[in-house]
Amino acid sequence: MRKFAISVAALGAVAALALAGCSSNNNTGNTTATTGGSTPAASATTTSGGGASGDTISLPAFPAGSTVGVSLPQKTSENWVLAGQLFTDQLTAAGFKPMVNYANGGVTDQQNQIQAMITAGAKVLVIGAIDGSQLGSQLQAAKDAGISVIAYDRLLTNTPNIDMYMAYDNYKVGQLQGQALLDGLKAKEGASPWNIELIAGSNDDSNSKPFFEGAMSVLQPKIDDGTLKILSGQKTQSQAATQGWQAQNAQTRMDAILAANYTGGTKLNGILSPNDTLARAALTSVKNAGLPNPVITGQDSEVASIPLIADGTQYSTINKDTGKFVTQVVSVLKDISAGKPVTVNDTKSYNNGNKIVPSFLLAPVLVTQANVCTAYDPTTSPSASAAALATDYCKTHK
Amino acid sequence: MKALRQFFGANMRQYALFGFLIVVMAFFAWQTGGRTLHSENLQNIIIGWSYVLVMALGMLFVIVMGQIDLAPGSVAAVVGICLALSIKDWGFPWWAGILFGIAVGTAIGMWQGAWLAYIGVPGFITTLAGQMLFRGLDQHISNGQSVPVPPQIVKIGSGFLPDWGPHTGFNNPTLVLGVIAMLAVIYREIRRRGKIVRGGGVVPPTWVMVARLATVVAALAILTIAFANGRPGTSFPVAGVIIVLLVIFYHFVETRTTIGRGVYAVGGNKAAAALTGINIKKVYFIAMTNMSFLAAVAAIMFVGKSGSTGLSDGNGWELDVIAAVFVGGAAVSGGVGTVVGSVIGGLFMSILSNGMFVLGVGSDWSAMIRGLVLLVAVAFDLYSKAQGRPSITGAIMRGLRSRRKETQGEEQVRPEVAKI
Repeated sequence: MRKFAISVAALGAVAALALAGCSSNNNTGNTTATTGGSTPAASATTTSGGGASGDTISLPAFPAGSTVGVSLPQKTSENWVLAGQLFTDQLTAAGFKPMVNYANGGVTDQQNQIQAMITAGAKVLVIGAIDGSQLGSQLQAAKDAGISVIAYDRLLTNTPNIDMYMAYDNYKVGQLQGQALLDGLKAKEGASPWNIELIAGSNDDSNSKPFFEGAMSVLQPKIDDGTLKILSGQKTQSQAATQGWQAQNAQTRMDAILAANYTGGTKLNGILSPNDTLARAALTSVKNAGLPNPVITGQDSEVASIPLIADGTQYSTINKDTGKFVTQVVSVLKDISAGKPVTVNDTKSYNNGNKIVPSFLLAPVLVTQANVCTAYDPTTSPSASAAALATDYCKTHK
Repeated sequence: MKALRQFFGANMRQYALFGFLIVVMAFFAWQTGGRTLHSENLQNIIIGWSYVLVMALGMLFVIVMGQIDLAPGSVAAVVGICLALSIKDWGFPWWAGILFGIAVGTAIGMWQGAWLAYIGVPGFITTLAGQMLFRGLDQHISNGQSVPVPPQIVKIGSGFLPDWGPHTGFNNPTLVLGVIAMLAVIYREIRRRGKIVRGGGVVPPTWVMVARLATVVAALAILTIAFANGRPGTSFPVAGVIIVLLVIFYHFVETRTTIGRGVYAVGGNKAAAALTGINIKKVYFIAMTNMSFLAAVAAIMFVGKSGSTGLSDGNGWELDVIAAVFVGGAAVSGGVGTVVGSVIGGLFMSILSNGMFVLGVGSDWSAMIRGLVLLVAVAFDLYSKAQGRPSITGAIMRGLRSRRKETQGEEQVRPEVAKI
């Protein structure tokens, strides 16, 4: 017994060492990631306007009436639920047999679903990945079965077996946000210089990078010439990141920044926020600090933000119409089925680690107080209730 | 009908579950026009649910000894990221990365085993803490990165056996494995029969043995052909070979080793086990260590299949595994359950999920149906036991039993404790 206990203790010590070593590795890995300046999930090197519009790619045609597999992430956001319904409706209307599935059980569910779609004889897969880097084997199986793969909204990385990427242009979203912030400051905050603070998305989401870089492509020149000042000094994406896109993380960070830099009458004129949830968190923080309402950007047209846009509390948001997106994907599927070449408008920007993925990027629409009454199509906006809300508000206030 | 009983022998419960498995497979094959029986889909079932099948082997022992492990999903996540980073950042060769991953998993298992066995914190609490602890550790180490793994590991998770030898139109290694399996089954049956005869026991007539062997061999032949005639370059999956080896090993541990029988003794009656001289702490410690060791094996197969680690690796796995073990006939109170039963339970749940996916049933419905299946399987088990009957098939055979006079000749119901 004692011998046994001793060997256990010894093994335990080895284990502790192993774990410690494993953990210390984290720091090096972390530093590399930061200095390398690439998001780990997908190194989408996004530059604006890559590739001339009008390029085409050809994918193997398939018979009309074939099964189309649509694999979407968890049924957790309104946007995905709407996308699923629209896919089912529009694919049926186009004469395809839709097989739309949500991977509620996580990555393993999605992997198994995609395999099942291949088994079920799907000719094309449209994949909105939970984690775009973890579907390598399934996409290989799709490739082996001669199935075309379209990445929907999220890039599939770590695989050569992807034919096309379709998404709203996230770099463009960032540019619109940056421009909106500048326009808002000009309109509302008097003469420059203006004090602003930056909020970025979660570092583990490959979309955070194009948002931030797009915005900085507009803001950086103004920071360099002194028009914009960032008193906290937190200017890089990793400094401004919000882990997990969580509101509370953005709010705590903003509380700390405000307490340290914006006391004694120093005014905060503007905040760059990548989405509506974080914008509202930042506004709460500003309000708690007793400061005047700043110009702030957002994205997603969330229900809770529509009234704020309408009364001017939140300066801007972005509308990425899910209906238009799905319609575009279905029209691409029709083209592929008919053997027609498929139009892409970006053949340079999206490198998934194995190849440059031909992409079709849709243009996002900026929404401010000026166009909130007309910006939403109640049948296809990410949130039909957002559209209804905007309509109601405009009826009563104009 | 007496012949039927002789045909099945004493392992009625497992056969019953196996029978349901066949029924479910037949149903899905009928509904999908045979698609679910294509070799690609059979390969998918093995590859896609390998993590459940592997971890069920460890969870069985934990459950049989009256404990539970809630941490294997988190442990798998830690193993996955340690493995991937050791290769990517430390320059470990792939095999060293695997050994490192297994060492990490085993070490975590010892940690949990020590808390349970030597400090006496109940397994539920130890592993609930472990679930949080190791999920956090995974997030800390990975820092939100998805780390790709090298192709050798991808092969372990989702690869196939390389083809060699003459061009037969089938995958030769799969055929060889199939033939080995058939010979092994025949050899084992004949040897067992010989033993019983030498010991003066009563054996069923020769034709029963021949019929039984013929059925099993035919089933194996069908499976072999099904796996061997897939797309060129595919075979019985590498993951499947690993699972089969593990099942054989753990079946041996379960039935033929002191520690294996000790687990049953501890789960059946802890006090009695202690009095017979079983080192209960050691049993606890080894079973918990073994569970995390298998979580490490499952993690390697999973990151291989995925090609990279991810933020949600292992989330909820423990529940899939626990469900499989209970469907496979283990009892919550401990002391009851078999390795083979657990694997069949795992296969049952996998085939159910896969069939529903191929039919296009959404994950929401799929989850509800699996939940109900678990509930019904366990309820039926309890009902059968309360009736003092073996199980599902026991109920079916109820009418036959009253007419049955002779005791079961061929195989004794395994005395759970007496063998130690």
